[in-house]
Amino acid sequence: MKLLGHLRGFAAFVVAVGRATLANPLPVGRALHEAYAIGVRSLPILLIISVFVGTNLTVQGRNAFADLGGESLVGMFVALAGVREMAPIMVASMVAAKAGTEMASQIAVMRTQEQIDALQVMAIDPHWFLVTPRLLGIVVVLPALTMISILALMLAGLIVGQVQLGLDPVAFVVQARATTAPEHLLYCAIKAVCFGIIICLVSCYCGFASDPGPSGVGRATNAAVVVSAVLSAILNYWLSTVMFGR
Amino acid sequence: MVVQRLAALGRFGQFAGRVVARVVTPPWEPAATAHHLWAVVSRCLAPVLATTVPLGMVMALQGLAIFDLYGAQRLLSPLVSVATLRELSPVLASVLVAAQAGSAFAAELGAMRIREEIDATEVMAIDPLRVHVVPRLVALLVACPLLNLVGSIGGIVGGWITAVVLHGETNGVYWANLWALTHPSDLWGGFVKTFVFGWIIGLLACYHGFHAEGGAPGVGRAVNDTVVVACTSFIVANYFLTSALFGAVGS
Repeated sequence: MKLLGHLRGFAAFVVAVGRATLANPLPVGRALHEAYAIGVRSLPILLIISVFVGTNLTVQGRNAFADLGGESLVGMFVALAGVREMAPIMVASMVAAKAGTEMASQIAVMRTQEQIDALQVMAIDPHWFLVTPRLLGIVVVLPALTMISILALMLAGLIVGQVQLGLDPVAFVVQARATTAPEHLLYCAIKAVCFGIIICLVSCYCGFASDPGPSGVGRATNAAVVVSAVLSAILNYWLSTVMFGR
Repeated sequence: MVVQRLAALGRFGQFAGRVVARVVTPPWEPAATAHHLWAVVSRCLAPVLATTVPLGMVMALQGLAIFDLYGAQRLLSPLVSVATLRELSPVLASVLVAAQAGSAFAAELGAMRIREEIDATEVMAIDPLRVHVVPRLVALLVACPLLNLVGSIGGIVGGWITAVVLHGETNGVYWANLWALTHPSDLWGGFVKTFVFGWIIGLLACYHGFHAEGGAPGVGRAVNDTVVVACTSFIVANYFLTSALFGAVGS
């Protein structure tokens, strides 16, 4: 019952955000500010995560293919798993954990301190003022973060492959190139845009719908990251089916 | 800035030392531990399954695209089981546990700290670490491997859904080859990994919640820091664990 109420609330929230975004002038300046904030604050952890996911994929790929005598396939494996699946979903999870939780807790604190009511009293649409810039910002910045993450992941895989595992770096790059076409990067960017929209809408909704008080803020932050990570993972399957399936 | 970071690291070390000393010495709080364990498992089960099943399905989808080229569809289920048991399920289950249970613990402890309940516990001469922190940590240590097991099964079933149900591969081939490349050590490796991740999540969540300050925004910050720092730390730890457990030294 509670879930149905939230589903209805979320649908109404999405409609309100869409209407507010279309009916008002686009907040370009604040959207760029949000994009900068999300991108810069998420970049360090994203780089750490991408580097270690890349190294890990290389080690596992080499282990898996060593049994089959196909160590030369590692480059293909890292490019396939890393570029198509791991980088988009990892970036989405970490941005949900970092920027999404921040959105949820900021808005929930505003709800607790009645700042959202104050906006309404001043005849400013809170959806337009609070959600639209964040939505535009994350849509701009998430594809860029995904591309940076892919670069870091592949470089880390290349270095670990050569230094720790003694693989041939030239073969690694050749296979990675053979597996990845330019349009695959475009698909990753599309995935990132979809995940960005999900993360922003879910996190902001959790903030808007939170109960007042410290535990309400905590619960909203908690729900934001879990729901957006799960929805991204499920959406990822459908996107992969459409883009890479046969 | 650097000094502040180092001071925070030192405080965390002190906190971790005091908590570990209480984990290994009685008296324990079995009732509270069981309560938290049930809370973690029941709250994380659905998110873990909702993430590992689609990822198993994606693995099978991408694997089919490759193995079809070589006519090696029988390698599909080993690919899914190796990837799920060794990497996907331990990491994803732990990310979800950090996001769901870790952040809930940080929020609970943070709210208790803000409402001065932790101070009240201390005033009553009850050790707050022992009654509030240790049961939550132990619950996570048990729950992480358990949820990893569930997540592994979910991933393998997800691969089966894609391969057999949606793409019409042979049912018997999928199950017969499932264990072709996996060893029992993969299962144990996953257990060891998630046990370590449980320590990381539990200590970080309780540390951030226990030291929350600054009202409602402070609780939000504590939750945020918990998820980010815990996920980053155990993905870094995962690389070293993979190298150590599944043996990968250059030939």
